[in-house]
Formats: sequence, structure tokens, C-alpha cells
Amino acid sequence: MAFASFFFAAWFITTAFLMMPKKLSIIENTFVFMVILIININWGWIVYESMERIELTEEGMIYTAFLLLRSVIIPVILITQLNLVHKSNMIFVVLVSLIILLFLSSLSAILNIADYVKWNLGFDAIYYLLLHVIAYYSLLLIRKIADREVTYT
Amino acid sequence: MTLWAGFDTNEICLLIMLLLAYGALFLLPKKFTRDITLLFSVWGVSFGFLFDFTIGGGIINFYIINDSPDYELFDILYYLLFAPSSYIFIYFYEVFRSYKNVFLWYIAIFSLVGVGVQTAFTWLEIINFKNGYQPLFSFAVFLTIQSITILYFEFIYSKFNVYK
Repeated sequence: MAFASFFFAAWFITTAFLMMPKKLSIIENTFVFMVILIININWGWIVYESMERIELTEEGMIYTAFLLLRSVIIPVILITQLNLVHKSNMIFVVLVSLIILLFLSSLSAILNIADYVKWNLGFDAIYYLLLHVIAYYSLLLIRKIADREVTYT
Repeated sequence: MTLWAGFDTNEICLLIMLLLAYGALFLLPKKFTRDITLLFSVWGVSFGFLFDFTIGGGIINFYIINDSPDYELFDILYYLLFAPSSYIFIYFYEVFRSYKNVFLWYIAIFSLVGVGVQTAFTWLEIINFKNGYQPLFSFAVFLTIQSITILYFEFIYSKFNVYK
């Protein structure tokens, strides 16, 4: 159930992202994706492995669901909302994005992917909000550093 | 996070390699625009993290970087090595890009170089394999990542002006 649910979530969000009209160029989307991926992997390692605030499953297929959430779903949601922020109300887009991320966090607890030993969804909410800020500033950075005019794809 | 478990061979070698790699990055004639340079530098670091924290940790756990499974300052320095490596990989691909079948032999050679470097890293105790993992297994990882990298570069090349 955990693997199927998170595989579907990964497929759905990736397909939706690929099909949507994008406001960011492929270079910008890739850069922000990579930055979020690096931060999310490190954050996960510190919280799960070093601080042991959350216990992860040791079952292979369920663990794969965690890998999908960490490495695909969260970074793709972040770049998707960044593409939508430009044409919709920013607060609304960030709020919807936060709700989806928190729903997936809850689902990972319900489906026994992660056991929130010394952690709660409030901490997740703060972390996800910070990720949105980092995604935004990563976009500003790559735009600032670009030598030429941005060509949208 | 600790700075290091013990300051010895692996830490000294990492510092020397960082110096050489970033020296090369800054000394090579500038070929690409700044955003392309930044993009492919971050590309390398992110793939390094992705693979190491997927097969090198968690339940798979095939290797330890540096002296302990805990996060050390020198682990981060190790991952910073991926940025110039990725840039240099793309840099020289562009140099040889006009040659016939470059995609095949360039990736094959660089993947072998990758396995060689990883073997050297085990001698220097920068990477410590366990659970039966051997450096040659990484050949598949290098072939895959480098192929994706070149295909992505070609895609970007076809859409944008990558040159300075």
C-alpha cells in the first residue's frame, strides 16, 4: 500500500509538472530541483539518522516509498508551485503546496513509512515553509547569475 | 555533526584534491555562461548526494564516507568535490563533442576513470565499502549518470546559448 500510494503520488506530480505550461526555463527548474534535492536529502539524514527524531521503516518496499517522497515528490512539488506562483495568488499556491506536503507526511506516518518518535507535523510545516523560501531564493540566484536574458521554454 | 573523527590520510587527501579540483575549475578558460557553469556544478553535487544517501546509507548502506557513518565536516567537503568534477566532465565533453561517436567512448572512458578514482578513494579510506560492495559495481552508476548528464547537456545545448 505504501509503495503503491507513493509511486502514484510521484507519477502524478511528475506527469502534472511535465504537462503544465511552465513559467520557469528548464535551466531554472533543474537548478531549483537540484538545490531542494540536496537540502532535503541532508535534512532527512540529520533528522532521521543523526538526531533519530523519526524512525524509518526497515522493510525494502516501504523504504522505497520514503525514497520516492524524499528524492522525487518533495522537489517536484516545490518546483511545480514555483511555476504556479507567477500566475496565481502566491499565498494560495504556497498554502496548497504546504497542505499537500503535510498530507504526504501524515500519510507516511499512517502507512508506517516513518514513526514520528520525537517529531510532529508542526516541525514539518516549518521545514516545508523554509523549503519554499529556499526554492524562491534559488530561483533568484540562478536568474541573477545568468549572463543573458532568460529564454522561457 | 563532528568536524572529523581523526585528522589523517583521508582528510589531507581530500583537502589536496579540493584545492586541485577548484584550481582547475577557476584556471580553465571560461567556456560556458555563468548559469550553465553553476547548473552543472550543482548537478554533480546533487547526483553525488542522491546516490550516496540512497545506496550508501539507510537500509541499503553499502559504504561509509570518511571515518564514521555520522555526518562530518569532511563528508561535506567530499561532496563539494563533485561540483568541479561535473563541470570538468561537461567541459571536456564539449571539447571532444565534434568527434564521431563521442557519446559512447567519452562516457565509457570517464566511467572507467570514475571506477579508478573510487578505487583510489578506498585506498585513501575516503570511501569504506561494506556488505560486499565493490568499486566495479559503481561502473553501472557512472554509465547511467554520465549518460543522463550528456543527454541533458545536449538538450540544453539545443535550446540555449551555453557559450560565454
